[in-house]
Amino acid sequence: MDFDPEPYELLPAVLHYIAAVGSLLFVVALVAVIWSLASRGRSGPAALIEGIKKGCRDFAQISPRRVWALSMLTIREALRRKALMVFVVFAVLFMFAGWFLQQATDRPDLQVEVYVSFVLKAITWLVLPVVMILACWGLPEDIRARSLHTVVTKPVRRSEIVLGRIIGFISVSTLILLIMGGVGYVWILRQVPDPSYLVSRVPIYGKLRYTNRLGDERNAIGLEYDYSINVGDIWEFRNYIEGGTKSRALWYFEGMDADDFDDKLIIETGFESFRTHKGDMDRGLLARLNIMNAETGLQVPLQPFTVEEYTQNLHEIPRKLQYFDEDTQDFREVDLFEDLVYDGTLKIAVECLDANQYIGMARPDLFIRLPDRSFFAGYSKAILGIWLMLSIIVVIAVSASCFVKGPVAVLLTFSFLILGQPFRSFMEKMVTGEQEGGGPLEAWYRLIHHLNTTSELPASLLTNAMKFIDQILLNFLWVMQNLIPNFEHFRMSPYVANGFDVPWSAAMLPSLVVTIAYLLPCVLIGYFSLAMRELESK
Amino acid sequence: MENDAVIQIRNLTKIYRDFWGRKKVLALNSLSLDVNKGEIFGLLGPNGSGKTTTMKLLLGLLFPTDGKISILGKEASNVEKNERIGYLPEESYLYRFLNAEETLDFYGQLFDMPASQRREQTDRLIKSVGLDFARRRQLKEYSKGMTRRIGLAQALINDPELVLLDEPTSGLDPLGTRDMKDMILKLRDEGKTVVMCSHLLADVQDVCDRIAILYEGELKQLGRVDELLKEQDVTQLLTSRLDDAVVRDIEEVLKKHNAQLKSIDHPTNSLEDLFLKTVKESVERPGRRFLPDEAAQPDASEGNGQSPSESASQTPAESGEQTSQAESEKPDEAQPAS
Repeated sequence: MDFDPEPYELLPAVLHYIAAVGSLLFVVALVAVIWSLASRGRSGPAALIEGIKKGCRDFAQISPRRVWALSMLTIREALRRKALMVFVVFAVLFMFAGWFLQQATDRPDLQVEVYVSFVLKAITWLVLPVVMILACWGLPEDIRARSLHTVVTKPVRRSEIVLGRIIGFISVSTLILLIMGGVGYVWILRQVPDPSYLVSRVPIYGKLRYTNRLGDERNAIGLEYDYSINVGDIWEFRNYIEGGTKSRALWYFEGMDADDFDDKLIIETGFESFRTHKGDMDRGLLARLNIMNAETGLQVPLQPFTVEEYTQNLHEIPRKLQYFDEDTQDFREVDLFEDLVYDGTLKIAVECLDANQYIGMARPDLFIRLPDRSFFAGYSKAILGIWLMLSIIVVIAVSASCFVKGPVAVLLTFSFLILGQPFRSFMEKMVTGEQEGGGPLEAWYRLIHHLNTTSELPASLLTNAMKFIDQILLNFLWVMQNLIPNFEHFRMSPYVANGFDVPWSAAMLPSLVVTIAYLLPCVLIGYFSLAMRELESK
Repeated sequence: MENDAVIQIRNLTKIYRDFWGRKKVLALNSLSLDVNKGEIFGLLGPNGSGKTTTMKLLLGLLFPTDGKISILGKEASNVEKNERIGYLPEESYLYRFLNAEETLDFYGQLFDMPASQRREQTDRLIKSVGLDFARRRQLKEYSKGMTRRIGLAQALINDPELVLLDEPTSGLDPLGTRDMKDMILKLRDEGKTVVMCSHLLADVQDVCDRIAILYEGELKQLGRVDELLKEQDVTQLLTSRLDDAVVRDIEEVLKKHNAQLKSIDHPTNSLEDLFLKTVKESVERPGRRFLPDEAAQPDASEGNGQSPSESASQTPAESGEQTSQAESEKPDEAQPAS
């Protein structure tokens, strides 16, 4: 597996959220007070407080029936504006996709990956633009056609309009998604040549550390080795251990409880080999797992195994293990959980047995495999992930449409989407200074003067001014980075495509938290934008 | 606020500004007026005089630059006031993809009405505005008149105390106009207050109790229609038909008293009356046609010199006899003498 699901830290995320929203509220309040003073004089702040009170009353008096009516109107509007035409494109795509995808690879696990990725990506990128455009154009079109005027002359609160629109568009996306998801599921079942590969594996990942070739777990200053040998692979996802030495990869699994397992433990590995000489080309490199007690140092070696690359290597470890005790020169039996698990932690050391050969591994390359779940369970969670992403897009789009016109709202929402997903890592590198070449002005300067990104800029007033302006822009980028949602959380297709269940902690929880976190501020922005707006303004 | 003042406007000013906050248009300048309970109040003025702006300020669609508005005892920006208000916009700004039933049901829901009440109101209003035949048709298929009717129906869905009508008769044919005016009068008879703005003076004159005339955002006239239209230095007499001799006697009497006779003539009906009468008769007597020869040769017609086909197409009540019948149906309408 080439991705590493990191558990989501909820508490730091919530604290960060409170800090970000608090800062934003402070800035907004400051601007609002200055604006009210400028426009209304000394009575401005009082009017501002009255406006906030009115807003609170409006939210407290929301009528579910009116919200429902506005939601149903939105659904009818979307359906009668032929939003379901997206199914035609979907149908055409799926009618012919099989021709091109079935020849992609011979390996059944990769075929599953190709089909599942295709279905989930097709659904995402067909529904997303439709829902985004509908949500961005809905309110501005209502204002332009003045049908909203008739609505607001009824006892309808602006908050109900915003909520009604959001719920309506989310309902539309739900309907489309359910149909497409169902069709996609059936299509995958029919296309995949070997349905036994359609599973949702449930992994437990551990913490990975290394020892050096002398077997030391810590370096000279007492730090654990969280890296090992780099064989020159430009992508440093995996570190390599050297065969025939004391170099080990150490996995620590915490929270191990015997009650959670049957009388055996299944370990799955997926290592990569790196050969410095041909060796025996007809067999893979030899490796061995050692189960260790982290406290006593008791070590039970398992049978060596051949590293089969690009496939699943399963190791079944019985609860009762026998090993040859060097001290007593006799075989001993130990209990996996009673003798080898210390303080809930299981330690597994991996060694390469072929001298001068290397085995590469990353954290997710070895995991404890719990009983599999059905493919449908994982697939449904991936669809839920798409739904959450669509929901957050709808929330942002409706809020944007409360203060700008349709095309601008589309542009704004699309920018959020682009900056929140493909450009996210680039933006983070820019903000942290990891991206070499400086800010935009410095980059221009380097381009014009044919300077590479690592050479120092000549010290001058111009370059100092450039760096100063760049810093301001980068600070703005930092603010944007904290405001724009991280859409990477919503990408659940890699899990399902690689045959895994979608994990709660690494995927479901963050996507859910991000969606909820954006809902309230966006509704507030939408409400106040609409409430302060003269609908009939010339 | 006076007890019977449903709307109270004081020094209402509206300035439209551009993006930079510069003054673009002074749409309304220090307008003050009251609208009393149970009356039909007309806002008159040419295009751009500020009557629609006033209406939109009343509804909270625009925010006043200065001044105060009180509607049914609440501020214009207060949403709760809308529970007792019905509004018919200038164009019927409704959702064109809904049909009549869905439209009224939707607006009923916005008033938090339970489903049974919505069904009842929807059915009653659709029938009362004469759209029973098209209740399941989408509004985009409606004619202008039908759209105005469903617009009025949605304005009345909550049985409002105050009805605001923006150009209620614009774009309607004479029949539709008459129906609309009848409905407005009926609303007043039911005790509702009606505020309408229009530039169709005849319509306003027909239905309004009081009017305000706006010009370039300023109030120029305010008062009861009959008082504003009354000419104090002219006297009008209405009698039944008089012989020529009697007319001459009257002229003599007027001369004797040094009164200046301005005209003495038979009164004419309004074009609207003629149109409505013609349509009514067409409904009652299908197949009747107007023949151009009849108009071109009135003498021949009177002399019974018609062709057989013309005779067959007319009923005995038509031609010369029709006039006398019309007069006999309207005994109150006699010629004025002044």
